[in-house]
Amino acid sequence: MSSFESLSVALSSLYAQRRGLDVTGQNIANANTDGYSRQRIELTAVGAPAIPAVWSTWSGAGSGVSVDGLTRLRDAFLETRGRDTQASLSQFTTASQTLNQVQQLIPEPGTNGFQSILSNLWSGFADLANNPGDSSARTQLLQRAGAVSDWLNTTQSSMASQWSAMHDQLSALVSEVNSATHGVADLNQAIQSATLSGLPANELSDQRDLLAMKLANLVGASSTVGTDGMLSVQLQGSSLVRGNVAQDIAVNSIPAGLLDVTAGTQVQITLASGGQPLPVATGQAGAILDSLNNVLPGYSARLDGVAAKLANAVNTQQTAGYDLAGNPGIPLFTGTTAGTIKVAITDPKLLAASGVAGAANLDGSNATALSNLANQVGGPDEVYQKFVVDLGVATQTAARRVDSQTAISNQINAARESQAGVNIDEEMTNMISFQRGYEAAGRLMTAVDSTLDTLINHTGLVGR
Amino acid sequence: MSVSLRVTQRSIADRALLGLQGNLDRLSTLQQQLSSGKAISQPSDSPMGTISALQLRADITQNAQWSRNAQDGLGWLGSIDNALSSATTMVSRARDLTLQGNNTGFASQQARDAMATEVDQIRNALIGIANTKYLNRPVFGGTTTSSTAYDANGNYLGDSNPVARTVGSNSQVRVESTGPEVFGTGGSSLFQVLANISTDLRTNPSQLGADLNSLDSASNLMMSQTADVGTRYQRLNQMRQAADDKQLNLKASLSGVEDIDLPKTMMNLQMQQVAYQAALGATAKVIQPSLLDFLK
Repeated sequence: MSSFESLSVALSSLYAQRRGLDVTGQNIANANTDGYSRQRIELTAVGAPAIPAVWSTWSGAGSGVSVDGLTRLRDAFLETRGRDTQASLSQFTTASQTLNQVQQLIPEPGTNGFQSILSNLWSGFADLANNPGDSSARTQLLQRAGAVSDWLNTTQSSMASQWSAMHDQLSALVSEVNSATHGVADLNQAIQSATLSGLPANELSDQRDLLAMKLANLVGASSTVGTDGMLSVQLQGSSLVRGNVAQDIAVNSIPAGLLDVTAGTQVQITLASGGQPLPVATGQAGAILDSLNNVLPGYSARLDGVAAKLANAVNTQQTAGYDLAGNPGIPLFTGTTAGTIKVAITDPKLLAASGVAGAANLDGSNATALSNLANQVGGPDEVYQKFVVDLGVATQTAARRVDSQTAISNQINAARESQAGVNIDEEMTNMISFQRGYEAAGRLMTAVDSTLDTLINHTGLVGR
Repeated sequence: MSVSLRVTQRSIADRALLGLQGNLDRLSTLQQQLSSGKAISQPSDSPMGTISALQLRADITQNAQWSRNAQDGLGWLGSIDNALSSATTMVSRARDLTLQGNNTGFASQQARDAMATEVDQIRNALIGIANTKYLNRPVFGGTTTSSTAYDANGNYLGDSNPVARTVGSNSQVRVESTGPEVFGTGGSSLFQVLANISTDLRTNPSQLGADLNSLDSASNLMMSQTADVGTRYQRLNQMRQAADDKQLNLKASLSGVEDIDLPKTMMNLQMQQVAYQAALGATAKVIQPSLLDFLK
């Protein structure tokens, strides 16, 4: 052991403690940075050579400390679970939001809801039955029938614009996915280069994990780190990122609007290069696809059912009666869907209040029959009420699913945070350790310096 | 949650934030319920409550309509009742005159001519009564579009179709009486009998005995219709009362389904406020200190 060995031991310690302080500083600086994983300095004691050279001897205690690297404390398995739960959570949240929006179109229960508008129509028929000859009762009825068809038209068109808005949202989402997959591919390349040249790539890995989480959020894509350190991203069996190559996805939209969606004509996500549609079921995209292909068309069809039932019931009864001039009644409504239903009669005299054939008369029995449609079993009121209840149950269930998934997601996130998050107390403790270590190494150097001083300057001076 | 979970400042802050948000969310729900007064403001708040509310509202509208129908029917039957009671007075005056005329030993031909004139006037007045209108419709004319039920000669212009008012589910009450039902038809109609009496007073007093019988039977027909109208009036009145009562009950039920329980909600809000403040206080205490505060 040379006399200067201790100096280099002290020096290695000074270096190591400085690195330690740097890492602590980096951790503290990023205590609140999204996606940052705390880092730990890996120190190893440098001992005697494992394979001594021929004729050499070793009498030293060891030759200091070396910095092996900076470890990024993040659990890959927890991350995978985190991505899965996040994909489900954003799916449920988006689904719940869609249902909430549909529900907002149906202002029930209340005095402004469709039920009140419909009840007013039946009341109007009863008023007509009381005064078949009164033109004001007839005009009032036409207005109320107009209110019914207007509500159906407006609600249908609101659903259609909701559909279009969600479709736009899906397109925006897909381009966001594409930019994220390219980001992952670029980072894969950068991380590989950094690792090859022995540079730390922890911050780059953090960024890549953030993007992977975003992809799970958006389309429910799953990501795995391969043995080469590259993160591959898969979506329903198709590879979105492999190595430093990313594949774009695209919205393959054949239906142009809400009313064009059928079992065979659906909005799909495919690879931009073409091929089979990817059955995306989770993430925001999964929920949006379900809303576009099933939820909105489903409720729109339910609304059509109300319109068809109403038009059919009223028209059947109306044509069974006779108008003010004694002529057979003509249908009150045209169109059998919520979007197309209209009041066909403009002349109030054509309302068939009378149930008595022959000459003109002021009988009101057919109007009474029309007003009794309010209680018809399986009639428009019942169809509408069932629609409202089904929508309410679906919305409630969706909200509950979000609640329970949020609880699960919170637990996973807490576990992830517990693994990767920065604890200030811990960093402070580390900081003090490194600080004291640095001081001690400095003191060692002083001590060695002082012994060398004794040796060089004060030894062999006897008798000078 | 496992015990070995490492706790960081951020996880504490996150969890505190989640808790506070949950608290605030519950607070805002209660606030909304209190300010709107409704426990159900959208179907998903309670799907079953919503369907009850929808049905109750429909029922309330229907009962209000039944009550209005009954009110209208009462107007019809009231007009008929009034018309019939004045008609009865007139018919008994005509009967008195006929009796006097029939007393050949007592009345002179001159007196009988005068009586005949009065009978004619009574007849005209009765035709006027038979044309009584309610809301511009002749109440004895069935569903006729004509503005009168009888012409000036006492010929019936109306039809025999009933006019009914719906006053309950599957419950209809007739609110008119057609002319023939009240005043008789053909030769036995009240107007024909009175015309005969007038003629007989002038030319053939010996027929007056038979005329008197005809008048009595016409009068009896009218009496029985008066009784019928009275019964229907009574029934309609009861049905209206029932519809009004039902409406009150339904409104109470609707309020029970839809409206908040004010004291309970106030109490909940108070409790929620306390919980929220406690959470805020605890968060403020927990988040602040770290080892930093104790290092010099």
